[in-house]
Amino acid sequence: MSTLRQALVVCRKELKDSLRDRRALWSIIFSVVIGPVLIGFMMNRLADRQREAESVQIPIVGMHRAPALVDWLNQQSGVRVVEGPDDAERAVREQREAVVVVVPDDFAERFRASRPAPLQVVADSSRNDVRPSVQRVQLLLQQYSAEIGSLRLIMRGVSPAAMRPLAIEQIEVSTAQQRAAQILTFIPMFIMVAGFVGGMQIATDSTAGERERGSLEPLLVNPAPRVAFVAGKWMAATLAALVSVCMTTLLCAQLTRLLRLEEMDIRLQIGPEHVGPILLAVGPLCLLTAALQAAVATLARSFKEAQTYMGVLILAPMLPGVMSSLYPMGNALWMYALPMLGPYMLLTDILGGRPADPGAFLASAATCLFATVVLIRITTGLFRSEQIIFGR
Amino acid sequence: MIRITDVRKRFGKLTAVDGVSFVAQDGAITGLLGPNGAGKTTTLRVLYAVMKPDSGQVHVDDVDAVAAPQRAQSRLGVLPDGFGLYPRLTAREHLDYFGTLQGVDAKRLAMRTEELIDLLDMRAIADRRTGGFSHGERTKVALARALVHDPQNILLDEPTNGLDVMSTRAVRSIVRRLRDQGRCVLFSSHVMQEVSALCDSIVVIASGRVVAQGSPGELRRQTGLDSLEDAFVALAGLDRGDHEEAR
Repeated sequence: MSTLRQALVVCRKELKDSLRDRRALWSIIFSVVIGPVLIGFMMNRLADRQREAESVQIPIVGMHRAPALVDWLNQQSGVRVVEGPDDAERAVREQREAVVVVVPDDFAERFRASRPAPLQVVADSSRNDVRPSVQRVQLLLQQYSAEIGSLRLIMRGVSPAAMRPLAIEQIEVSTAQQRAAQILTFIPMFIMVAGFVGGMQIATDSTAGERERGSLEPLLVNPAPRVAFVAGKWMAATLAALVSVCMTTLLCAQLTRLLRLEEMDIRLQIGPEHVGPILLAVGPLCLLTAALQAAVATLARSFKEAQTYMGVLILAPMLPGVMSSLYPMGNALWMYALPMLGPYMLLTDILGGRPADPGAFLASAATCLFATVVLIRITTGLFRSEQIIFGR
Repeated sequence: MIRITDVRKRFGKLTAVDGVSFVAQDGAITGLLGPNGAGKTTTLRVLYAVMKPDSGQVHVDDVDAVAAPQRAQSRLGVLPDGFGLYPRLTAREHLDYFGTLQGVDAKRLAMRTEELIDLLDMRAIADRRTGGFSHGERTKVALARALVHDPQNILLDEPTNGLDVMSTRAVRSIVRRLRDQGRCVLFSSHVMQEVSALCDSIVVIASGRVVAQGSPGELRRQTGLDSLEDAFVALAGLDRGDHEEAR
């Protein structure tokens, strides 16, 4: 029987064994799902607020007393005027309406007489969620008031400019799109972490766990070279990591489609057609992380110790994401050859819709493969050591 | 047949095995008898090639186990100290895993698995996960797993340790059956009665050295003592009170 076939036998057994480990399985699913769900939640809130503020429905009590105002409001984009509820204050207090405008009886009379005509904006300032809508309504009314004021001044032969000693212009730099794009920069990080977490359980359980259960010694009595055992365990961990990556990617794709990002004019896109390139970018990294996990777990004195090390190692795939949000980074070819940074940069390229350079893919994959081979050789060496096999 | 010649193994300053030599013949049950820490497990580990001796030779059916460990291993069925089962796999899956790794082809493996399930009376537990198994049930699985590739030489490291009477009897009857099939069975134990009831040949080991070997009768004659237990105590030097605790 060839070494490869023996490795495949080991791989199959490790996969079967770990699939039956319910608790580990759930922890993987949880960690794979939590990222996309978190992003989805944040994006959804952002988009909702945006939409709410832009298109606002204004219930007005006593519409017939101010037909000109109603007409003007209806002409504004995203505004729809409806008949207000009988008891405006109660409707707002009970949160049936975000905001209600009340036109009092003497409005028309005072308006005609060019005296300040009363208007009531009923709102609950303790509610954060409707604040954009309330602000929008207030702004609209102020605009209307200013326009009427200007017309009156012109009729009296006074320039409206006299009423505006200051021309204040507010420039908002943080648009909703920018905030959304910021949230989406986490996607590459979540994909990389999914690859790490996916293989972690098998990599530790089949090495440190196997030794702790005492099943490593009987396993090694089988006539196979040590590299067959190491390779089999590594393959199983890699496969699990790749499955996690696929799951997270598809989830993110589904999510961004549901959120209709193109409406918000966001370039970061992820669809089913991106799954291939993403796997190409992260696949070699999965080989590397699985090999790294197996090496570290084999070196650990116990299963617990191995898990502790994994908790530290998980920072590695998170590092490029954190770094790039702190320091702007270029994209020189040599940077793609760095173990964790390369796949991260490829992911941001793919998701940002930039054409992916084959050279960058190659540089990233070559480093990962080289490191993987080195790590597997190290682990095989450890599997030959009596101190490691029988514990220290 | 197993032949060990002048095997030595040290762990740091501790000499666990200090020049052990013996032969275990085909068609015979050889008992490796010694107190805890005498070097039995280390000797067996060197024998089934998961440890390399510092010096000395190990031959399994004329295969050099030090130079060609994998060839030797395919001729060995091993029940190691502590069974090391996978709690999430069934008994049958254990046989399947090890049988495939030993290179037994699928058809032969299926047949062999059924044979062993009957032989060890495991029908009721064959498709249950081993996680909740009793000690006796775990022994059966580990034993079946050791025999799945039909090896000529069988090494059992304290197989009856902690077993109840019925399970012990079952193990003994299987060991005898293997002997009657002409196989070489090497059996380690620290229990006198066990060895005297079962073995054709006994190797007494103490502090990493072979202190006596021969049939139960020969050992009694050698020491001039009637009871094998007294003989064991005398041979192992346990009566002198200077017995060193060794690995």
